[in-house]
Amino acid sequence: MAEDLNWAIGGEAGDGIDSTGKIFAQALSRAGRHVFTSKDFASRIRGGYTAYKIRTSVDEVQSVVDRLDILVALTQRTIDENTDELHDGSAIIYDGERSWDADVPEYVTGVDVPLKSLAEDAGGAIMRNIVALGAACAITGFDVEYLDEALEKRFGGKGSKIVENNKEAARLGEKYVEDNYDLGLGYDLETTDNDYVLLNGNEALGMGALVAGCRFYAGYPITPATSIMEYLTGRIEEYGGHVVQAEDELSAINMALGSARAGARAMTATSGAGIDLMTETFGLVAASETPLVITDVMRSGPSTGMPTKQEQGDLNMALYGGHGEVPRFVVAPTSIDECFWKTIEAFNLAEKYQTPVFLVSDLAMSVTEQTFPPETFDMDAVEVDRGKLVDEGDVEEWLDDQGRFRAHADTEDGVSPRAIPGIADGAHMSTGLEHDEIGRRTEDTEVRVQQVDKRNRKVETAREREEFDYREFGDADADALVVSWGSNEGALIEALDSLEKEGVDLRVLSVPYIHPRPDLTAEFEAAEDVIVVECNANGQFADLLEHDTLTRVKRINKYTGVRFNADELAEEIKAKLTEEVPA
Amino acid sequence: MSSDVRFTDFKSDKQPTWCPGCGDFGTMNGMMKALAETGNDPDNTFVVAGIGCSGKIGTYMHSYALHGVHGRALPVGTGVKLSRPDIEVMVAGGDGDGFSIGAGHFVHAVRRNVDMTYIVMDNRIYGLTKGQASPTSRSDFETSTTPEGPKQPPVNPHALALASGATFIAQSFSSDALRHQEIIQEAIEHDGFGFVNVYSPCVTFNDVDTYDYFRDSLVDLKEDGHDPTDYEAAKTVILDADKEYQGVIYQDENSVPYRDQHGLTEDMSDIPAGAPEDAMDLVREFY
Repeated sequence: MAEDLNWAIGGEAGDGIDSTGKIFAQALSRAGRHVFTSKDFASRIRGGYTAYKIRTSVDEVQSVVDRLDILVALTQRTIDENTDELHDGSAIIYDGERSWDADVPEYVTGVDVPLKSLAEDAGGAIMRNIVALGAACAITGFDVEYLDEALEKRFGGKGSKIVENNKEAARLGEKYVEDNYDLGLGYDLETTDNDYVLLNGNEALGMGALVAGCRFYAGYPITPATSIMEYLTGRIEEYGGHVVQAEDELSAINMALGSARAGARAMTATSGAGIDLMTETFGLVAASETPLVITDVMRSGPSTGMPTKQEQGDLNMALYGGHGEVPRFVVAPTSIDECFWKTIEAFNLAEKYQTPVFLVSDLAMSVTEQTFPPETFDMDAVEVDRGKLVDEGDVEEWLDDQGRFRAHADTEDGVSPRAIPGIADGAHMSTGLEHDEIGRRTEDTEVRVQQVDKRNRKVETAREREEFDYREFGDADADALVVSWGSNEGALIEALDSLEKEGVDLRVLSVPYIHPRPDLTAEFEAAEDVIVVECNANGQFADLLEHDTLTRVKRINKYTGVRFNADELAEEIKAKLTEEVPA
Repeated sequence: MSSDVRFTDFKSDKQPTWCPGCGDFGTMNGMMKALAETGNDPDNTFVVAGIGCSGKIGTYMHSYALHGVHGRALPVGTGVKLSRPDIEVMVAGGDGDGFSIGAGHFVHAVRRNVDMTYIVMDNRIYGLTKGQASPTSRSDFETSTTPEGPKQPPVNPHALALASGATFIAQSFSSDALRHQEIIQEAIEHDGFGFVNVYSPCVTFNDVDTYDYFRDSLVDLKEDGHDPTDYEAAKTVILDADKEYQGVIYQDENSVPYRDQHGLTEDMSDIPAGAPEDAMDLVREFY
């Protein structure tokens, strides 16, 4: 991989950290550079520290690392929080005129820029972060003009004067550094003619829902799922759809269920605490054979846990949530672009098999932005499969001898015909009670078994018809096998690259299908070491795979609330390879 | 919509298992007649039923229907109606479903003013679980779980509705078939959330709020010269705990349903077979 640059801006919440970071990320993207961003919320000290970090290269970047090259520090704490990642080639941009005396580590170059004064010269102190961006351009050899388009995008709505002031602020920052410093740190950001788009996992997921035909979304605000609702609001209406902010998650999932019964593609999204409430309705969705996509953007639990922190702790909830036995699909996208594709697939699975689909993402993916060539989201490849939706002409063949529609007909593949309101002679009731083919309550032992079996058969049919494969990286013949699910894929791929350079070969399997999931027995047998990587304490996925393959695995678990980074993952994998397999 | 629909078309071939004499028979008959009378047919009607004796209504009627989770019938009905403005939605449930486990949803459904009808089959008792206090039970009503009565005032559903910004509040009695049907028809025809609380006596577990009690105590607001468009008059009726009423208590003639507030006109079930033509615009937003 070409050389990467790691840049960050940090300060107090409310300092405009996110929007400043986003402007720089967009500028880099427009300059044809790849970008991977992350948001940092400190866990060691209580308070409002927040940082926006960018890793950029002309090659694809898909993880954070533990090295920081350029830091814009609006507070001393920003420096303290990042000391471990700074090195002797790093530079810290700070404002020496501010009330705090910046304590810059001696091995790091301090670049004192009067951010506030220069911003005032450009038209207002509020633009001090933009001055800092200009200063960063000077240090990194990045043309300040690349900021212009991002500034226009960010401030265009506020009038051309504001935009021009911001452009001036950036130039003043750049000029100040050029005039006062001769740093010689050697940074010189290459640009390319490539076009990239920059988006996060929730945006990709929302976009996937829109193009898959989702027209109804009901949700209750909760971090980190809310941004899906915010993305859809204002866009879904363009396609005749609607977003409802429900009074709670109990209502949200039932509204979505109602919409799906009415024939729309419907979705709700929440995080762990909301999934707890929605669990009440899982069984009804499955028993009434309603196609519904239920998204869980996981955050740290249990209970209120660490609401703005990363965790993959809801796997068991997605797999087993709800009393009784609830047939379902559980799909967990492994990257930001896959959030788009797996959402489309989730809608198709829901309608083809008239079964709840749990789409499981996580906080790290939801807030992380990454660059992609626009054709990654090839709209011509989007397929909408509505399954056994019947129209007027088909209804008759599904009526029983008394003319009643067999909405829960026991078919070979388990999937019944689906009539939606308005279809003549298709009227029927569906229910959470055990029922017969026409939806009437029953406790008849034979019918009970028939209906349980037909609902479960749908998942088995899908196992045969669909390709529930893993994504594979690295050396297929390597002795060491690393398996992961969800958003760890990017960090794993980068760890794989760096370990390869050290002569450590790995085979990496990234599994987006949790249920049904690929059978890894042969892969486990072919490997000498199997390591399962996940962001939780108990190894929920590792437990599943041990159960599937009857093989003990080694585990790498992280539950600090911070996602894996490629460097630490490489170290941990190396260490695990020398450990004994647990008994 | 066919004009020759009869109310029996809304009746399924399933014989109700309600106790003989249950008020729910009359409640359901009035619903079916009102649906037929307002020009609906089973294929364009969606009934959402709650849990409890009342929840069985989805089985005994013939239409598109969902019998859901306890207390969540209103959210389901909301989802159906917002997705399909062309479908007539009627939500039916008991007093426990609506005013206890589902009370939160009731308040917000009223606020949203989605154009659907909500029938509460109020028998002031939990019948299916064999006789426990309900949220509308009297404070001294003795039951297996409240041997000396609940010792708390019953919920006043109409007051709750009015306080939440209701645009249609009515009360009917299952045994007064003509008036009951007429009131439900008015609720269906109301452009907004039509709430009808129906006294639907439980003959097995409630020996206080009986047919005789309601027959003797009910005042018909229509005969009484009550003007349902008069908010203050409605408030007086609703807050008078000493009397039982039937009739339309309040109707906001200027009701603007959710559909119009949000400009919803589309049939959301109708979607293209692939991504929409302008879908790449969504990607370009991220440049």
